[in-house]
Amino acid sequence: MAEIEVRGLTKEFGRVTAVREVSFTAPAGIVTGLLGPNGSGKTTTLRIALGLVRPTAGEALIGGVRYSRLARPRRVVGAMLESTGFHPGRRARDHLKVLAAADGIPLRRVDEVLDLAGLTSAAGRRVRQFSLGMRQRLGLAAAMLGDPQVLVLDEPANGLDPGGTAWLRSTLRDLAGQGRTVIVASHALGEITRTVDHVVIVSAGELRFAGPLSEIGGTHSALESAFLTLTTALT
Amino acid sequence: MLLLIRSEFRKLTTIRAPWLLLAAGPLLVVAGISGLVESGGNVHDPGTQRGALAHTGLAAVFTLIFGILAVAGEYRHSTITDTYLSSPRRGRAITAKLVVYALTGAAAGLVSSGVALATTAAWWADRGGHLQLSAADTWLTLAGGLAASCALAAIGVGLGALIRNPAAAIATALAWFAVIEGIAGQLLGPALARWLPFYASEALSRSNLSATTRLLPQWGGGLMLLAYAAVFAATAVTTTLRRDVT
Repeated sequence: MAEIEVRGLTKEFGRVTAVREVSFTAPAGIVTGLLGPNGSGKTTTLRIALGLVRPTAGEALIGGVRYSRLARPRRVVGAMLESTGFHPGRRARDHLKVLAAADGIPLRRVDEVLDLAGLTSAAGRRVRQFSLGMRQRLGLAAAMLGDPQVLVLDEPANGLDPGGTAWLRSTLRDLAGQGRTVIVASHALGEITRTVDHVVIVSAGELRFAGPLSEIGGTHSALESAFLTLTTALT
Repeated sequence: MLLLIRSEFRKLTTIRAPWLLLAAGPLLVVAGISGLVESGGNVHDPGTQRGALAHTGLAAVFTLIFGILAVAGEYRHSTITDTYLSSPRRGRAITAKLVVYALTGAAAGLVSSGVALATTAAWWADRGGHLQLSAADTWLTLAGGLAASCALAAIGVGLGALIRNPAAAIATALAWFAVIEGIAGQLLGPALARWLPFYASEALSRSNLSATTRLLPQWGGGLMLLAYAAVFAATAVTTTLRRDVT
């Protein structure tokens, strides 16, 4: 099982401590929500887990190894980050073909994920013509390209319409149901209560809570009040 | 590594911008040679023939910009995140880019050489000159331009990895080309100036623009440019390894 394990993670950017001694586990087979206000260290934590940012202390392991040790990373971990970009002049299908080539993923998989993301009819269009929601779908298609055991998604519901949000929710639950590890960073609490099983709450770079959603109370209002208490108490 | 190289080639073939940029090289060659003849270049003089063919080396400035966009362009569009997700060992990603861009730069140089030869032949025929194809000078000049196109593309990859803002990187390269190296050359004196990158590139491509400077021999310019490419590439790889991608 490829769980995500974060141990004593600290990251300082100059004088700013973005993440301070954060530890948690995102187990396989469920959806874990990484929650926190803007600037709380969610994105930094995920970037460290993906080898994009070097931690000051601690480590993040995926299935027991660091991301940088993975030989064919996209076949193990699918990631979508807010800052993941697209070349505006490249067609959606070509974007996926570039990524597929780097990990030796067969090209038929490109059409499969385009279909999964509902982008088949837009696959031949250049990304500059895409709406925010379509870019999100393309990012999700890219994350699923390698049929990975682990999915790391940063604000995946941004810009999705209600149909897209429902599709995302059922997709993530299906993936977790197949035994995969899914971690979703978000500040959209309403959506999260309907998607996740397990929550990790961070604020000002520190861990405030990690455990099953049911421990906080599985409703939107219970999560909201817990979120506000946990994230404002010490600031 | 082969997979990364294939991915880099696919990146290039799925957008138009790099090809428009590289197409500017042969256009510059045609315009430059035509200008040389129209402004009274003597088609009976072997030196003029070499000067015409050496426009291939001038066109190499476009492969430099092309190379700069390899990494800096990825930062501009934030596609660098995906590149490093595919290849967390970043040195390999940069190496794949160096290979692909140097090869493409060489291909662009080959096209520019062909265009230079054809354009020169056409003008020489028009003006009643004798194109001296047998002269080793001709082929050395064309080959030098090709080699300069290849090396400058690699130098561009390194420069773009160091200065990740494409506008800033291109401005720096052009300012160095047009102004700074000339001033630095004067400060250093001709004995040292000829070791500077663009003087070395002129020596390699035999495009003696700055006729006042005593250049290295062609092979010396080639080796020097190769050394610059190696230094830029090594610096690019090492600085890229530890940098946070946010």
